[in-house]
Amino acid sequence: MNAFKNLSGSTKGYIVLISLVVLSWLIFKILTPHNFGSPDQLLSYFQASLIATVGAIGFYFVMDMGLFDFSIGANIILSSIVGCQLAANFGLGYPGLVLGAIITGSIVGLCNGFFYVRLRIPSMIVTAGLALIYESLANYMAGGVEQTLPSDLRGLGQMPGNLILALLTFVLAWGILNYTKFGTYTYAIGSDEFVAKNMGINVDKFKVLAFILSGAFFGAMAVLTISYGSSMVAVTGMSSMSRNFIPTMGCFFGLAFMKYGIPLQAIILGEFIVNIIFFGFISLGAPTAIQDVITGLALLIIITLTTKVNKGEIVK
Amino acid sequence: MSDIRLEVKNISKNFGITRALKNVSFTINKGEVHALIGENGSGKSTLTNMLTGIYPMETGTFVLDGQEIHPKNQVDANNLGISIIVQELGTLSGLTVAENIFLGHEDRFIKCGIRNTQKMNAEANRLLEKYGFNNIKANKMVDEYNFEDRKLIEIVKATYFHPKIVVIDETTTALSQEGREELYKHMKRIRDEGNTIIFISHDLPEILSKSDTITVLRDGDYITTVKSADVKEEDLKKLMVGREVTGDYYRADYGEEISKEVVLSVRNVTVPGIIHDVSFDLHKGEILGFGGLSESGMHEVGKAIFGASYDREGSVVLANGTPINDITTAINNSIAYTSKDRDNESIVINESIRDNIALPSLDKLRRSPGLPFISWSKIKAFALKYALEMSVKMQGTEQFVSELSGGNKQKVVLARWIGKDSDIIVLDSPTRGIDIGVKQDIYQLMNKMRKEGKSIIMISEELMELIGMCDRIIIMKDGTVSGETMRSPDLNEHSLIEMMV
Repeated sequence: MNAFKNLSGSTKGYIVLISLVVLSWLIFKILTPHNFGSPDQLLSYFQASLIATVGAIGFYFVMDMGLFDFSIGANIILSSIVGCQLAANFGLGYPGLVLGAIITGSIVGLCNGFFYVRLRIPSMIVTAGLALIYESLANYMAGGVEQTLPSDLRGLGQMPGNLILALLTFVLAWGILNYTKFGTYTYAIGSDEFVAKNMGINVDKFKVLAFILSGAFFGAMAVLTISYGSSMVAVTGMSSMSRNFIPTMGCFFGLAFMKYGIPLQAIILGEFIVNIIFFGFISLGAPTAIQDVITGLALLIIITLTTKVNKGEIVK
Repeated sequence: MSDIRLEVKNISKNFGITRALKNVSFTINKGEVHALIGENGSGKSTLTNMLTGIYPMETGTFVLDGQEIHPKNQVDANNLGISIIVQELGTLSGLTVAENIFLGHEDRFIKCGIRNTQKMNAEANRLLEKYGFNNIKANKMVDEYNFEDRKLIEIVKATYFHPKIVVIDETTTALSQEGREELYKHMKRIRDEGNTIIFISHDLPEILSKSDTITVLRDGDYITTVKSADVKEEDLKKLMVGREVTGDYYRADYGEEISKEVVLSVRNVTVPGIIHDVSFDLHKGEILGFGGLSESGMHEVGKAIFGASYDREGSVVLANGTPINDITTAINNSIAYTSKDRDNESIVINESIRDNIALPSLDKLRRSPGLPFISWSKIKAFALKYALEMSVKMQGTEQFVSELSGGNKQKVVLARWIGKDSDIIVLDSPTRGIDIGVKQDIYQLMNKMRKEGKSIIMISEELMELIGMCDRIIIMKDGTVSGETMRSPDLNEHSLIEMMV
């Protein structure tokens, strides 16, 4: 126990995360040994987890500042429909798909940030309201019809395309967090906005930038989503909210392991754990409702056990 | 060449209808420690916050080395050669030590938008070594260090670039003796380099021994500037308060017998890693003092009695046999507690004076007993009564506590527990960061409560107030009781210090 205590923060974090990966795999492997958890299957779970990981990593910039975004699902739907239409209907191919989705995601992020800063109301409320608008806009653009990505443009939904795009976004996020002023300011604003302001940091500007960056990452997630799933339906009435859950969970892993100094690594492995649990339930043939209940509980338990909260520390 | 470093010219500042500074003018010289003193609410921090860009300027000007300046924020002030070390924590969690030191000044490590983190860490490590803070590492998260070390990091942050003026705003009250000595060393260095310190403190002996010149403010007005060598503590008190501070500063009585009646029994109380096997009795009408070094565990004793410690072992039992194991039981059994960390643990900073005072007494402020509905008229009358009793300087009880000075915040906390009519009052550092006028009020209040039969536990790092106010003093060292002494006119600081170290 003492030897563990003496380890560096990041080593401890990696040990906990890898143990959780092994534990979640082991539980389902014991329960359903024949149709779960082979090396090939683990690779496919990992590939599936890459999709949400890309969004979660972008979302980390916003959540770390103490802000929230309820328009994640709506952003993914709108960005993937724009990307799909540019790629297919306008004949722009991969550049249209990738740039279209990422730019749309960034514009959505810009709108979120702009209205949050201007209206001075909580980010949760602003983004929930705007999500309705993004959903309607996507529905209008799709004409109420499911948008399908042509089969010759789905390369980013499988190896190595998805891995390359995901790796690029990880490296970009890691570089921004560790090697730019923006990364430091993200933490500074999250820690104490008033002090950050007194340090000459233009807090509103960096909040908007965080939303734009997060939006761009959701745009990249949209590319992976439509490439992996081949089509996208523009739902309305806040139905897009169901897409918020998995990237948000990954982001919680990042926040929980921030104190260990490995937030991005925690998001990657955290999303992998979420997918192991998800595919584990599929292997067990559990009904969707049961899957959701147990997944939710399992994730709450994991986050509770891994979050280092000091005695008496106030958690909001 | 002029000796004048800073000219403060006709500075005024209003917060709503409160006039925090009224046409203040004076000068500060190069190569001196210039103390700024005054009661809470006199305008010292307002003035330095404007100088360091934390508050925007209103009317008047600052002239630094002959140039008019208008700092927009702290970094802007830094660039002009002015920095500040604040009273509370000034480093940001979630950032490394190096990121904290260079926050707002990262551009020197950035090329084409990419920060050279290695270079920044190396530079921070070089500075930390130069200052002798070898135990602090630049690449570690600042959260890994304790309050004291984080203050040392702030010293580096505020002084590494050789600013022309360093403001030290009541920082010493938050530091142990060791930390204070470290700060004094750097104050001397800065002065010897020909630069200037603006030193704010309520500790008048410290002011007299560490500063060269003293400027006094009172209720936002400039009173005078004097040479430290030309004045005594009593002169400063008079200048600050505007009248003679005489007589009953501390208790004047000696030889009064403590009641035999025990109201609270503490037996073998241990809080893992903080205090170990602490036992004592508190008597009716007694002021029992706890002294020691900051980390001696004495502050935890207060929490343990109030049921606010975690994993506490041992027993805290009232005379009627009621065990106190949690805060609710403590309050329901007439125990009150004021924390050393006033802003975070004692007051609800973003609530009104009214709500802060009434909070623990809402049960008796209902429309009718037995019904769940509270009576706003009763609450307002209750809050006003006790705020006036404590002479809180306010615009009304609906004013937010965040707008009050430190001393008035403390008065609100005390008004809350007087209103609750608590019989056992635990006061942890009740006069921390408070001017002598309010201090005197608090001492007199404690004396009055003692005479009414209330029992008080006073925890303090100020030995003189323990000696002046307590019937009995328990000294803590390394989490255990290291000595006990009774009230006596012959008692002095040296005998207590011997037990502390």
